[in-house]
Amino acid sequence: MTAPTKPRGFTEEAINELIAQRNEPAWMTERRRTAWTAWNDLPMPDPRKDEEWRRTPLRLLELDEATPLSDAAKANVVPLAPAGELAAALTFVDGQVTARQDIADDLRQQGVIVTDLRSALAEHADLVQRYFMTVVKPTEAKFAALHGAFWDNGVFVYVPKGVAVALPVGVVVESAAPGRASLHHTLIVMERDSSLKYVEELRGGVAATADGQAFSSRVIELVQGDGTTLDFATIQRFSPAMFDFYDARVVQARDTNFTLHNIELGAAMSKGHIEALLEGAGAHARLAGIYFADHDQHLDRYTLQDHKGINTTSDLLFKGVVADTARSVYSGYIRIHPGAKGSRAYQQNRNIQLSRKARADSNPSLEIAENDILGCTHGATVGKVDEEQLFYLMCRGLSRGEATQMIVEGFLDQLVEAIPLPTLRVSLRDELIARVEATTVETDAA
Amino acid sequence: MATPTGAADLIIRDLHATVADKEILRGVNLEIRKGETHALMGPNGSGKSTLANVIMGHPAYTVTGGEIIFKGHNVADLTADKRARMGLFLAFQYPLSVPGVTLSNFLRSAYAARKEGFDPDKPVEASGTTPKKRNLNPTEFRKLLQSKMEILKVDNTFLSRYLNEGFSGGEKKRAEILQMAILAPEIAVLDETDSGLDIDALRIVAEGVNALRGPQMGSLIITHYQRLLNYITPDIVHVMYKGQIIRTGGRELALELEEKGYAWLTGEEAEEAVATA
Repeated sequence: MTAPTKPRGFTEEAINELIAQRNEPAWMTERRRTAWTAWNDLPMPDPRKDEEWRRTPLRLLELDEATPLSDAAKANVVPLAPAGELAAALTFVDGQVTARQDIADDLRQQGVIVTDLRSALAEHADLVQRYFMTVVKPTEAKFAALHGAFWDNGVFVYVPKGVAVALPVGVVVESAAPGRASLHHTLIVMERDSSLKYVEELRGGVAATADGQAFSSRVIELVQGDGTTLDFATIQRFSPAMFDFYDARVVQARDTNFTLHNIELGAAMSKGHIEALLEGAGAHARLAGIYFADHDQHLDRYTLQDHKGINTTSDLLFKGVVADTARSVYSGYIRIHPGAKGSRAYQQNRNIQLSRKARADSNPSLEIAENDILGCTHGATVGKVDEEQLFYLMCRGLSRGEATQMIVEGFLDQLVEAIPLPTLRVSLRDELIARVEATTVETDAA
Repeated sequence: MATPTGAADLIIRDLHATVADKEILRGVNLEIRKGETHALMGPNGSGKSTLANVIMGHPAYTVTGGEIIFKGHNVADLTADKRARMGLFLAFQYPLSVPGVTLSNFLRSAYAARKEGFDPDKPVEASGTTPKKRNLNPTEFRKLLQSKMEILKVDNTFLSRYLNEGFSGGEKKRAEILQMAILAPEIAVLDETDSGLDIDALRIVAEGVNALRGPQMGSLIITHYQRLLNYITPDIVHVMYKGQIIRTGGRELALELEEKGYAWLTGEEAEEAVATA
């Protein structure tokens, strides 16, 4: 029997089939082809040559175990939050929209768009054409190129001038079909003086074979016009089979406020690259992150605070917990361009190691090309739970394990508390508590 | 002061302890009964704070000889949490801040642990288990907390703040005393040595201790300065020097020290005067 088999992996055959299936505008087809060429031209990141990849070798990655082409699976998806907590919601399963909560009529009449990218391509082609993969270009990074060629679906949000969307837009991206690559795109465009909260959660990831890999390549593009405020949360809760790669970039015009909550809890391996480009005068970015790695997870992220405009300020705090034999890497870069007078940048990375075999690396660096700045500081800590804090809590009757849990939960909780969705805060706390408890073993048998 | 009958609740017998191989305690002997208030005085570096930490089981100190008998059991080999659950308490000179942990959450967990208690005669469960969840009646706890907060004049907003995070010196002391009130220890050690306590913080500690003083609690108040004893009248005063208790007396001993300085007892010429402010 010779049943037709879907092409596996990311091949010429696969890109041709995908383009044939999609029936997209010619310019999008062209962009896919350009990205495909870039993917073939760009070398695979090399830990010996690329500083950013030094601690994340790709020799274990099996790209031909996943396919961008397969039928979607059926999945029961738990919503991110009750409808009442959200302004609009979208649920994706393997690129298909399976649930949708439309934006309220008054906001829609003011021109707010919240839809999936495939629909946006048909209904708002001009806007998508103007912005899609112009913030993160497919030619600049290997996995961005792959994403540009094979992107599957995603979210498009447009907020017109002066419109405030009070409740968060909530998105769930579920990867359910075995062997199906997750290629989710997020594109948010905000016109001047608008405001938006956005929360997305990535779930699932099923390998085609029992001990195989699942694959995800994501791109997040955020465009903030003058005077806009964006509160953006991305929660990565992939399965332990997932190999996840993402590029996220925000471009901030004058007097913008950007808040990031970058929470990474899942995946076997994840490599992320986050950039805040503070281009307009007075732009402010507040970047917060949590990564929690246990078992043999490997989570690696890079952040850039890029100050171009005068009086731009940025404040970064990334906190990590590593347990068992897990490994985390944080690389943070602050760049202050010539002319970015009056700028101020902070960067803090704090890591707790819960086991001797777990490892956290922290690599902060600075490049300051302007003398007239208000300040630029960075700091990094890597260590066990503080013994004096432990003793203090134990003096009140808590066992070493309980005290450790309380300290670690507290360590992360300040960042969880800031996420603008109560239901999600509860589920994150529950998961973090359970995982801290699972890795905190009593050692005081005396 | 209760008439001593039977064995004391806390008996420190010929206690020796080292930190980083340096002997700090060189044979301390001390007995405290419930209902008694002891003051421990002494010049800087005499080992007062070390004694407090060793009584509680700080892992940085090694007991090299002697015993710490609490309620008839030698607790010198028990971890701090087990001693605490048996009813020992240490009020810290500099309480640590624990960001992200609210005072109310912390008090609830500590109270549940104290209520569970610890019986040194029972075999210890095997290690390698995650901590068990303790049940606590929330209404009962809230009532207890409210009553103690009223007695100690603690504001309700205190509870939702992170433990000692950004607390003033006085607020930290108030939080320590509130913990002591909730946990109802049988023996409390208050380490106030050398701290730059302002007069308000001093009063908070003193008023708290006086409010909790009673036949169910004995206390050991460690202070460099006699001034704290203007607010808390001790039953017994000990003077520590070079890792030993060299003199024990009544309230008048503190006053005599104030007048004559530690050199009167230690014989050292260069010894500083006992501050009185």
